[in-house]
Amino acid sequence: MRDSIIEAKGLGKMFGSQRALADVNIVVPPGTIGLLGPNGAGKTTFIKCLLNLETPTTGTATVLGCEIRAQNRASRERVGYSPEQDCHIPGMAGCEYVTYCGQLSGMSFQRARQRSHEILDLVGMGQERYRSVDTYSTGMKQRVKLAQALVHDPELVILDEPTNGLDASGRESILQLIGSLWKQLGVSVIISSHLLHDIERICDRVIIIADGRVIEHDSMEALKNRHRRIVELAPSGEAERFTNVLKGAGLPVERLSNGRLRVETPSESAEPILNLMRLHGLPPAEIVANPNALHELFLKSLNARKNPKNGNNP
Amino acid sequence: METTLDLRRWQEKPAGVTYRRWVIVSTGLRQLMRMRFFQILIFLAWTVGLLMAAAGFVFTQSLASGGWLESFATSLGPRPQAVVSAFCSMVLLYPDICIHGLFSVVFWWHSFVGLGLSLVGLSVVIPRLIARDRASNALTIYLSRPLTSFDYLLGKLGIIVGVLLALWTGPLVFGWLLSMAFAPNGDFFVYSLTALFRAGLFNLIAMVVLAAVALCVSSLGKTTRSVMMIWIGIWVIGGTIASIPTTPNVLRAASFSHDLYEIRRGIFKLDEILIKAADALPLTDRSITNNMRRIGQRESHRDSAASAYLGLAVIVVASSLVFSRKLRPE
Repeated sequence: MRDSIIEAKGLGKMFGSQRALADVNIVVPPGTIGLLGPNGAGKTTFIKCLLNLETPTTGTATVLGCEIRAQNRASRERVGYSPEQDCHIPGMAGCEYVTYCGQLSGMSFQRARQRSHEILDLVGMGQERYRSVDTYSTGMKQRVKLAQALVHDPELVILDEPTNGLDASGRESILQLIGSLWKQLGVSVIISSHLLHDIERICDRVIIIADGRVIEHDSMEALKNRHRRIVELAPSGEAERFTNVLKGAGLPVERLSNGRLRVETPSESAEPILNLMRLHGLPPAEIVANPNALHELFLKSLNARKNPKNGNNP
Repeated sequence: METTLDLRRWQEKPAGVTYRRWVIVSTGLRQLMRMRFFQILIFLAWTVGLLMAAAGFVFTQSLASGGWLESFATSLGPRPQAVVSAFCSMVLLYPDICIHGLFSVVFWWHSFVGLGLSLVGLSVVIPRLIARDRASNALTIYLSRPLTSFDYLLGKLGIIVGVLLALWTGPLVFGWLLSMAFAPNGDFFVYSLTALFRAGLFNLIAMVVLAAVALCVSSLGKTTRSVMMIWIGIWVIGGTIASIPTTPNVLRAASFSHDLYEIRRGIFKLDEILIKAADALPLTDRSITNNMRRIGQRESHRDSAASAYLGLAVIVVASSLVFSRKLRPE
């Protein structure tokens, strides 16, 4: 087992006078890693630099132990990439396209053909795999894109917005598949998405990029623990009395539009709130700890970035 | 949240880069071969190859005593028999002029057909090279695999070479080989080799130029229409302007079709062949001799081959610069 899948040292990229990536130093261990950042933050540029699709202006990086410039081809031998935009080859049927991608990664035709069918089954493509890719819906194109990234059994898969254009059930199955890649096959996944909820569900590490810099990189658990404790209460009744009791105990309370109460607590557990409810004879309530923790953390990190005193580059 | 992944692992050592380049070539050619238009072109090209072989067969029978040609002439009467006998004697006495000359004329004629079919074939191929991959972002898929842009270009170059081999070189060599297979002696092989070498040389030069121009044109646009317009502009309009006698030499040299035309004249040297044949062969009909000499002299009045070579060199270098600069995923 590798200690790290990606190591970047001083990685930077300029587009003319525009800085897209600035002095990125990061060591990423294997696992399922979420890559977060606002639009134009440098996520895709970072991915493209790792894949040599863009030439870094400064610094170096290794992917699966191979230096991206010196070992150009080798660094991508065991990497699968699914870009954000459509990238099919017109005129090819789905299974033909995936087979071709396997062959481009060095698989024999027979092996590539066999595995392309297995992977297409896995991503939920039925008989439509024999149709030309040009006729596919957005969701089908997304599935085929994922299949081509997995066909050669990569050690690392980089997925850029893999659930875009998928319906609810399709999104769910693809997320389950992505979530299982590391746990069952040991395939590391880097998933770039603006859907924080997806990242929170399947990733065990998060990298937040803003303004071309890595501003957060830690395990999901550690990041959540660093987050202020937020509890959401959904009282079954007497919401007004709930608010007064909590305020009376000195806890900041916010009433949400859906009728829930958002409370900031000093403790990691919900025990103090339960004690208060018991003490004042309040009716039962649904309690959810740390809802939207990643969202909160994401916004907090971005705000901290705007204030240079709080900026960091882990 | 997990799903059971029922997958066989693939942990073999990936095949080398040569294999991956070959995959690009073979898949590209296979896709082309599915097109009806391309199938018709291939059929035409190989029919022409068969015609060449048939012509070669008739010619090689001239030396076979009791062969097909002699029997056929005898059946037509004493006059055709006498003509054929005289022709056979001439071939026997002057094999260097007759065999080399006739094969040169056949190959020269085939160079027009082969080049024409190749140019028409490239009109179909060019939009499918780089332009289509740029338009559909497939370039990202290629370059995110263990392939460099150089490997990608080599693969696309291989497709062009494959097309030219199928439409031009293949039928040429096939026609020659088939006619040699029925030749009664080794003279035909020996004296036709120089003509074949010259045809091959012209073929090679055209292949380099057409490959560079095709890749350049394909990298300039993203849609089939725009790429076709550029290709037709460079090929047809450029060639037409260059054929106008008053066009300045610099503009003429900028047309690859004009340059190839000039180089063909320089390589096949039909003028020398015709004048030598008119001087050396004991032709009884003076008008035939005069005609051969006149055509030969007309052919010898040509533009400088050096300017054509220079023009083509500039076109190849400029084209290479364009497609290599354009080849970054977007």
